[in-house]
Amino acid sequence: MKLLKRIIVIVLCLLLIPVTAIATAAVKQRFADGPNRVFSGGPLESGELHSGPDPDWSFVNSIPTIEMQLLDPPQSRRIWITEYDSKIYVWSGYMSTAVGRLWKRWPVEAERDGRAVLRINGKRYERQLVRIEAGAILDGISSAIGAKYPSQTTKAAVEAGEAWVFEAAPRN
Amino acid sequence: MKAFYSFIAVALVVTVISVLFVPGVDDFIEQTFQQYV
Repeated sequence: MKLLKRIIVIVLCLLLIPVTAIATAAVKQRFADGPNRVFSGGPLESGELHSGPDPDWSFVNSIPTIEMQLLDPPQSRRIWITEYDSKIYVWSGYMSTAVGRLWKRWPVEAERDGRAVLRINGKRYERQLVRIEAGAILDGISSAIGAKYPSQTTKAAVEAGEAWVFEAAPRN
Repeated sequence: MKAFYSFIAVALVVTVISVLFVPGVDDFIEQTFQQYV
């Protein structure tokens, strides 16, 4: 029994090393200029800040992921994006599951304060995230999402609250 | 066992310092984490 206890302690101590490495890397990224592929990052600081009228957003359909930062809290993450009818949309799945609600905090934060900065191809865009919960436009958005990603984000899923969709509208 | 705990303590300190200050270590962790998790 004593031997078993000792083995468990040794294994846990050895596991503590990679866990510490991952936790340290995650904390370090929080102070970086943007996220990496795994960990969320700090405020998006580099890159030209776009001014003037919106560009033709169709170019985002050839970009796999973008960086998105909320102003409150000022954290950034890597996220999918799609363009439909000259507007851009971001979304989050798994929102009706307990794990999803714990893991995906940004949609709730964005609903509270939708001010955001998107960094696309190194250029920053100030936007206002506006949640879309229902409506015919979801047919088009979900088609655009499905054409670009292996995603199950359908109109029914959005209306059921399983996925939260936001338009990244111009900020007034 | 005391020597083992000392080894773990040193390893943890070295791990934290390496991730924070040695270039490329955090990239390696990111790639490994993404690959396996």
